[in-house]
Amino acid sequence: MKHARGEIRLRTVALGAVFALLIAACGSGRSSSNTTNTTAGGGTTGTTSVINASQCDPATATQGITGDTIKIGTSLPLSGTYSAFNAILQGESAYFSYLNSLGGVSVAGKKYKIELVSKDDAYDAAKTSTNVDTLINSDKVFALFNTVGTKNNLGIRETVNADCVPDLLIASGAVQWGNPKYPFMLGSELVPYPLEMQTFVNYLKANKPSAKIALLYANDDFGQSYRESLQDLVKGTPITIVKEASYNAEGADVKAQVTDLAASGADTFVLGGTLLACPNALNAAHDAGWKPLTYMSGTCVSKLLFQLGGDGANGVLSVTPLLDPSDPANGSNPAMVLYKQQVAKYQPKADTGDGIVAYGWSTAAVLQQILEASPKLDRTSVMEAARTLAGVKAAGLQVPNSTWVTSASDWFLGETFQLIKYNKAEGHTTAIGPLTDLNGETAKLSPASLLHS
Amino acid sequence: MTFERAQFIRAAVAVVLVIVAAYVFGWYIPQFYESSTTYLWAEAFYIGVAAMGLNLLTGYNGQVSIGHGAFFGFGMYTTAILMESHGWPFVATLPVAAAVSFAVGVLVGFPALRVKGLYLALVTLGLAVLFPQLTARFVPRDLCPTCGTSQVGELARSKLRPPGWVPHFISANDQWAYYVSLAAVVIGLIVVVLMVRSRFGRALIAVRDHEAAAETVGINIARVKVLAFAISALYAGIAGSCFVLVKRLATASSVSVFQLSIEFLVAVVVGGTATVVGPLIGAVVVVFSGRWISESFPSTILFLHIDDSVKNLLSPAIFGIGLILLMYVLPDGIVGGGRRLTMSAWRKLRGRTSPPALKGIDA
Repeated sequence: MKHARGEIRLRTVALGAVFALLIAACGSGRSSSNTTNTTAGGGTTGTTSVINASQCDPATATQGITGDTIKIGTSLPLSGTYSAFNAILQGESAYFSYLNSLGGVSVAGKKYKIELVSKDDAYDAAKTSTNVDTLINSDKVFALFNTVGTKNNLGIRETVNADCVPDLLIASGAVQWGNPKYPFMLGSELVPYPLEMQTFVNYLKANKPSAKIALLYANDDFGQSYRESLQDLVKGTPITIVKEASYNAEGADVKAQVTDLAASGADTFVLGGTLLACPNALNAAHDAGWKPLTYMSGTCVSKLLFQLGGDGANGVLSVTPLLDPSDPANGSNPAMVLYKQQVAKYQPKADTGDGIVAYGWSTAAVLQQILEASPKLDRTSVMEAARTLAGVKAAGLQVPNSTWVTSASDWFLGETFQLIKYNKAEGHTTAIGPLTDLNGETAKLSPASLLHS
Repeated sequence: MTFERAQFIRAAVAVVLVIVAAYVFGWYIPQFYESSTTYLWAEAFYIGVAAMGLNLLTGYNGQVSIGHGAFFGFGMYTTAILMESHGWPFVATLPVAAAVSFAVGVLVGFPALRVKGLYLALVTLGLAVLFPQLTARFVPRDLCPTCGTSQVGELARSKLRPPGWVPHFISANDQWAYYVSLAAVVIGLIVVVLMVRSRFGRALIAVRDHEAAAETVGINIARVKVLAFAISALYAGIAGSCFVLVKRLATASSVSVFQLSIEFLVAVVVGGTATVVGPLIGAVVVVFSGRWISESFPSTILFLHIDDSVKNLLSPAIFGIGLILLMYVLPDGIVGGGRRLTMSAWRKLRGRTSPPALKGIDA
């Protein structure tokens, strides 16, 4: 008897609590329980064959467009180890505020304002997956924009392609975004990682033909991209990789690895890591008294990271598709003037000298060009336009005289870029030689195992 | 007479509530909500299952684990790899995932015989830290073409479809994930109730409360402790399998494995240790509170403007403060505290003392 009464009371309390939560968690009703199961339908088929839209549900082709507003979503780390990428959001938000103040983006003769919904995923692919579910099905966004991370986007690619949601300008230079199985994805203007390696290997061939390389890479898909492409590129050349070491991508602790690499007798250092791992590695190399010729991932090109790198950062090479906002020589460039003025106006907390803010700003400008290139405002047309861009020019802080192109046979954007060298005394980077134009080369230069994985 | 009537009324109310709950969870949520909401509930369910398992170990048996994210991970990766690279249907992977996590639970349970309390917590923490290194080392590309170095990338939608034999009202992938997780909760709940009332359940509690006394009455301490670990790991493994249906991938980082382990523990403590439904309620709180806090957060407080980036930082802080407050107000969790409050209300109402419930067994 005692048991039964205890049970009943318990159940009442439990159910009461659950109902309270249920009410709190109320949302909108399910519009159609079958949408996720649509196998084939009479979707709109594009005139060209880049995107096959026969699988797409026509009912959601214009989801996220209401009146004169286009709602887009993004998931990125705003907390945790990678929270420095918050700066991307600042740059993007500033650009969209600026664009909306001018009336918005024009698509097919009509102006639309852009509304950006951002969600924090702490760089955890499982959280990105939940965020994207919410963005697509609850927030009802039109497209995803500049979602950060290689593994994070690998974790949503079936969803975005099955639902035909454009996953535009992915903040990752991985080459998987060129896999023809997943047409609804497009990488951003970040230089594809194999092209970074190609550029540096070319530089070595001209300046240090028998370089002995020590490689540090993050132990995730991102770091592997550098490793596999570098191994591929040095084959058959006098250049050798004398030692490799990986570090835990969730942290930025690389001291032990760099000390090891420094002892290997290598005269060249390739740094396939990102964010804090970069300055940490530069400091560790300096502390070990090692003075190699250093190449650092383009994802680390940021005033703050260079400063943190201290003396070790002097003379470091990297690549960038964008102008350095901390270089006074660029100060009079009208694009730079506009950027500094508008970011200061709409995101006063942002550091306009930070390359990561500049990246967010410029990527938002590329999105504007993609939307404006689309003949109609529906998901398939926009994706088609993104995959066949005749030429992106002067987007945000895009390096002058460079053009970013995509076509049916070339799905990579940031293939024209600048080799740069950091000068510690002056506190900014300077261009080395002319622009590197490897347009259309990414697919050829990437290991097939990476491209199709 | 009045006593029996009151009892009858309460029984009737309970039956009605159970029917309503069955309707709401069994029909209304999966049939009328958007997939993002059903996925979120499914997440609450599988976290609840793992928390129920942890509660068996921590609540009933008194062994602390902050490494259950690893057992969860074993179930997750077993299911994901079998589905992705061997083409197994989801249901067929469940027994394998359960067996793998059970076996790992036995392995971890043996050292747990030697170490107790904080030291055991440290051993399990080591497991949580070790697990992502195992996936980085042993989940190679050639085993699974879409795997990264340590991740099983998103599974194709066709692989996550409900199989042909399920009733036709389970038509979409999110509904399948939801009903599977719900079934895991229901079965897990029934097993816990039966186990807690069985000879084994009494042995669990006896070992927790007084090991030496338990031994003198003939309980095989080693067997009970190792089995508690293994069963608890099995629950976490099943939960990990459900994760694959809900999140459609397998991923493990030392941050995420540790965070999951802590979430299970928070669910147990918030819901009420050594109570049957406590961990489930705790899981619902853990999963929904973050979303609820960030959604209902005002964009201005007094004259301060709060932008999204600040909100993103504040909502975990608010969750943490809420947790501290809850522990002050209800140190025995929502279920334990709720039971205490209704009891004292009952006493005031009736003006007499109602017989206290036996801790642990009654729950």
